[in-house]
Amino acid sequence: MLLRLIQTVCVLSAVAVAVLFVATPALAHHSFTVFDSTRMVTLTGTIKEFQWTNPHTFTWIEVPSQAGVVDTWAIEGMSPNYLGRRGWTKNTLKPGDKVSIVINPLKDGSKGGTFLRCTLADGALMVMFANPPQ
Amino acid sequence: MYWRVPPASTVAPVLLGLVFSMAATAQSSAANTGRVASTAWSAVGNLPNFVGVWEVARNRAGGGRPEPISLTPKYDATQKAYQASPPQDTPAANCVPPGMPGIMGQPYPIEFLFTPGKVTILIEAYMQIRHIYTDGRKHPEDPDLTYNGNSIGRWEGDTLVVDSVGFTPDTPLAAQGTRHSDKMHIVERMHLRDPNTLEITTTIDDAEALTAPFTRTATFARHSDWSMAEYICQQNNRNFVDEKGRAGINLTR
Repeated sequence: MLLRLIQTVCVLSAVAVAVLFVATPALAHHSFTVFDSTRMVTLTGTIKEFQWTNPHTFTWIEVPSQAGVVDTWAIEGMSPNYLGRRGWTKNTLKPGDKVSIVINPLKDGSKGGTFLRCTLADGALMVMFANPPQ
Repeated sequence: MYWRVPPASTVAPVLLGLVFSMAATAQSSAANTGRVASTAWSAVGNLPNFVGVWEVARNRAGGGRPEPISLTPKYDATQKAYQASPPQDTPAANCVPPGMPGIMGQPYPIEFLFTPGKVTILIEAYMQIRHIYTDGRKHPEDPDLTYNGNSIGRWEGDTLVVDSVGFTPDTPLAAQGTRHSDKMHIVERMHLRDPNTLEITTTIDDAEALTAPFTRTATFARHSDWSMAEYICQQNNRNFVDEKGRAGINLTR
């Protein structure tokens, strides 16, 4: 219940905070210049692995593209320290989970990007950038 | 070259002096009874309560635009050269911590500890520590140059005033190629706006890099239910920036 409330609050503030983070790269571990912040890509597929580590969490997702072809995308996320205080756990994404992840893709065209938000199999929306609950 | 054995007339006083100074040390060690002295903590018990875990509150509406940073011609030229051909990322991508002042503005919590004669700030980002000595000592005459500086503090009423010097010029002053010299001097005024809101007003001057000091204010919210977590940046760092300023990201599982 509280998690859903946090998620709702997070969705509303996510856009404003996401802009704040992109605009002030000095705050982050590294800048976001390798990502195309003008484009969003939605990846619908199956979680291969979720690395709950510093300095960034990393998600590998298998996305069926054309018939028979499965692409593996690697998505960088915020630190588990940050996410753990905003409704995430190391089990939020598990191998085999069917999810839809929205990313800003890498500018160089390789299959990767920065995690913006994702919709879990039960419909819950998990966002990457949010103010912490007070 | 050989050691000459000194005559007994010089050895005896030296030995006696050693014995007496060792005895004196033993005396002051004896004053340390092996139990924490409550008298040392009584002053700590009367301080405004900064103790606990805080994080920069970015959702608090601030007033007005931040004060500009006025660089001297040499440092202005360095900044312009950087912006004309900026690297794709900063050393932080290689897990190098930013030092002061940037280390106080990270999106991770900090924790204040009060002990007799000292305030310690644990900083979760890059697992940094700042030692602020409030025991009346002065800065060293010629401090070693470090990322986080040499800090001494004093209480002015309910405000902790922290004075810091001894910064290596290896760290940035601000983003976009804004550098400082080893003359950077930082004064932070820290006080509670209310028991759960800590305000830190930071004034930076630099005789070599700045034509005038500038001041910034940050607001921290208390998070009573948080504890400080580990942050080993090198644990799974997949970012890098090379010596030519090219940034990259390792996507291999």
